[in-house]
Amino acid sequence: MSRGRLLQGDGRTHIDSPLMRESLVDRKVIASTDSEREFEVLPDVMLVSIGGQSIFDRGKDAILPVAEELADARGKYKIIVGVGGGTRVRHTISIALDLGLPTGGVAQLVGAMEEANAVLLNALLAKKRSMVMQREHFWELPLYLENGMLPIVISTPPYHFWEPPAEEGSPLPTHGSDFGLFILAEVLGMKKLLFVKDVDGLYDRDPKKHDDAKLIKRISLSALFANLPEDLPIDRQLLDAWRNARHVERIQIVNGLVKGELTRALAGEDVGTIIDRGETHA
Amino acid sequence: MRSDPNVPQRRDIGGSLAGATLTTARNDMDYSPVALMPDVKVIKVGGQSMLDRGRSAIFPLLDELVPLKDKYQLLLCCGGGTRARHIYSVASELEMPTGVLAALGGYVPRQNARMLQMLLAKHGGVFMLHDDFEKLPLYFKLGCIPIMTGMPPFGYWEKPGAGGRIPANRTDAGVFLSAEVLGVKRALFIKDEDGLFTDDPKKNPSATHIERIGARELLKRDLPDLIIERVVLEYLTRARYCTELQIVNGLKRGLVTRALEGEDVGTIIYKD
Repeated sequence: MSRGRLLQGDGRTHIDSPLMRESLVDRKVIASTDSEREFEVLPDVMLVSIGGQSIFDRGKDAILPVAEELADARGKYKIIVGVGGGTRVRHTISIALDLGLPTGGVAQLVGAMEEANAVLLNALLAKKRSMVMQREHFWELPLYLENGMLPIVISTPPYHFWEPPAEEGSPLPTHGSDFGLFILAEVLGMKKLLFVKDVDGLYDRDPKKHDDAKLIKRISLSALFANLPEDLPIDRQLLDAWRNARHVERIQIVNGLVKGELTRALAGEDVGTIIDRGETHA
Repeated sequence: MRSDPNVPQRRDIGGSLAGATLTTARNDMDYSPVALMPDVKVIKVGGQSMLDRGRSAIFPLLDELVPLKDKYQLLLCCGGGTRARHIYSVASELEMPTGVLAALGGYVPRQNARMLQMLLAKHGGVFMLHDDFEKLPLYFKLGCIPIMTGMPPFGYWEKPGAGGRIPANRTDAGVFLSAEVLGVKRALFIKDEDGLFTDDPKKNPSATHIERIGARELLKRDLPDLIIERVVLEYLTRARYCTELQIVNGLKRGLVTRALEGEDVGTIIYKD
């Protein structure tokens, strides 16, 4: 392959490559970069998300048992932990919007509240080899995992001031912590994500409002899209991104308030709700 | 959790969003947006179109921009160009995920920004990272020309797209999003064409120039190729502040000045 030669002649200096001179907006050019498979960067790792509102905001009685299960799982599995921010994120947004800050400004603020929960969890688990992984240390993940560490990552994606405008009229940032963790799992080629919440899984209606809500034990992504419950325990943006994803095969939602559920899910048991991607990337 | 006494209770702070699902679009809120720095001129210097041309394109452009820095607050954002294309090509052949490509592609516009900074240093050019964004008021107060990458900071968190690995949010998107968060009405894109054409004028000489067009209208035409990243048009349809993009030819002396003065030279793409 002759790729790499420098070419001149139209006023610009190009490097010879199949994308040379091409408009990267051209659909044919974009399609030329597609292929059936995709490289897996860190495939044998599971990502576990600990809910902000659902676990952290409930305090000690909810946090400690989950922390204990994480400590027991460390060493048995390669796990990366993410945490949500919870009610302090909501408070931040509520004040920021009252002040009229733009969507990107709001997005810039919220990650701090999650980072605080990450630091809190890390303080609890430090003697069990946890550590807060800063984004600049992204490529140190293999080092941590190979040494049996338990990295705790910041869940909010680094969209910050550059958060894209939401749907017409809404000032709320849409790329939240569920989405951020999902993309992290996907780019690293992970297959499984676990969301630890305060409900037994996904219901056909919000179980906090409806006593007759039914638990969905297993559903495919396409079936979920065909009949989306009005109140989802995970971000809609995550589900949208999943449709174009190639690696994440399963998302499991378990109840962190029920002792042992997280451990059973990590061991591969079908507890809570399992969402399967189903059909592979087209 | 129907208030089971055995379950630890959530401690909410309260406020209009307590307990709410946060990332669902809502427009039922009382929201009076403020513009943070509406007078900033957010300017993209094209990668392949300008920087890859080297001195013959860049020196006249900088000669034009330097005298304007005392009149306007200029924020320069750089595109990538052929080196970005090269690394996208190598990485996509290795079947790397989109997020890895986005992170790799991020290096090139940062190099370009550093080059412009070196050239503009004696006129107050300062290189800035995304993390320095909040220092913009300081740079302008000191009469500086801040220069940064056009790429948004998504990196590994860039979402995979349908039908290809090239990240959807590249330097055009970052420039638009910078303008949007600053509350700037019009973002300026300096390229090597007079604006938008019905087809790529470099490949089809009979392509005709478009002076003004709405983003929705342009998306509806479903052109196979565009002068601006497709995702920017989608953002533009939902934009709150940055409702116009202007594309001008940086190879023609004076057009950038006229654009900064508010003249509708080149092509205007607006929120329709």
